Amino acid sequence: MPPIDDMDRAILNLIQSDFPITPRPYLAIAERLGFSENDVIKRLGRLKKKGIIRRIGGNFVPEKLGFVSTLCAARVPEDKIQSFAVSVNRYPGVTHNYQRDNKYNVWFTFIAPSMEEIEENLKNISRQTGIREIINLPATKVFKIKAHFNL
Amino acid sequence: MLTELENEIIALIQGDIPITQRPYLEMAQKLGISEKTLLERLKDLCDKGVMRRFGATIYHQKSGFEANAMVAWKADEDRIDDAGEKMASFNEVSHCYRRNPTGDWPYNLYTMIHAKDEESCREIARNISAKTSINTYSLLFSRKELKKTSMKYFPADDDN
Repeated sequence: MPPIDDMDRAILNLIQSDFPITPRPYLAIAERLGFSENDVIKRLGRLKKKGIIRRIGGNFVPEKLGFVSTLCAARVPEDKIQSFAVSVNRYPGVTHNYQRDNKYNVWFTFIAPSMEEIEENLKNISRQTGIREIINLPATKVFKIKAHFNL
Repeated sequence: MLTELENEIIALIQGDIPITQRPYLEMAQKLGISEKTLLERLKDLCDKGVMRRFGATIYHQKSGFEANAMVAWKADEDRIDDAGEKMASFNEVSHCYRRNPTGDWPYNLYTMIHAKDEESCREIARNISAKTSINTYSLLFSRKELKKTSMKYFPADDDN
């Protein structure tokens, strides 16, 4: 069985943004697609369980909530990546962290109430892990943020 | 800036909304407010631009976008806005930011590219390079996801 069929695809394409803010949102989705509310609820439950949907909810603009965000990169010896990741991931403001193939090989995003706090945290991470080469690359302009994928 | 109720609402919908007939009613009951009030406040958070997006977040690797590359570009500072706009116009580009170069890291534009495999990512990067005339760039494929979560802005108290 394929991971998702056309009906799943139609639902997923519809609910990645503008999830209905109405008393029965799944009914609203069902009506737009010509399905039943029960079908939509069952399928979304399954897609969630299979991990195709990570979550359904709100995504916020950190700056509008009084937070700042940035992208950081570190140069970490291969054998220290795991322990470095544990130290970094401990911070709740680190939301994304990827190992990438570059001399800077660990890339993570950091959200906090202020850039001073982030700088302080980076210093603490350096102290704790011995990794000195960590760069902080806050965005100075946003050209695009899209999280809608046509499936 | 935001009211206490707004903070509580944000704390609730930054998680997962229930997949049931009346998800907002369930959430409103948790907050001790009416469903109608919750719906009004949610619409308002969208209108104010506090909520960037409300909906499902898809796990790309399980939905046909197996590869993703962060591409770091070295653009001429005086043509950077034009380059950024051009990059943003590519459908395969999900994110595009300007960031200041630092130390031994010379790049100043960043794009996230999503495609079915690495070769497709490379091809898209070549197309972007051709369109923007930026030839100095580096593709950073993700080798391992070390963490991926969404921010918890206003953690709820441990009571109730």
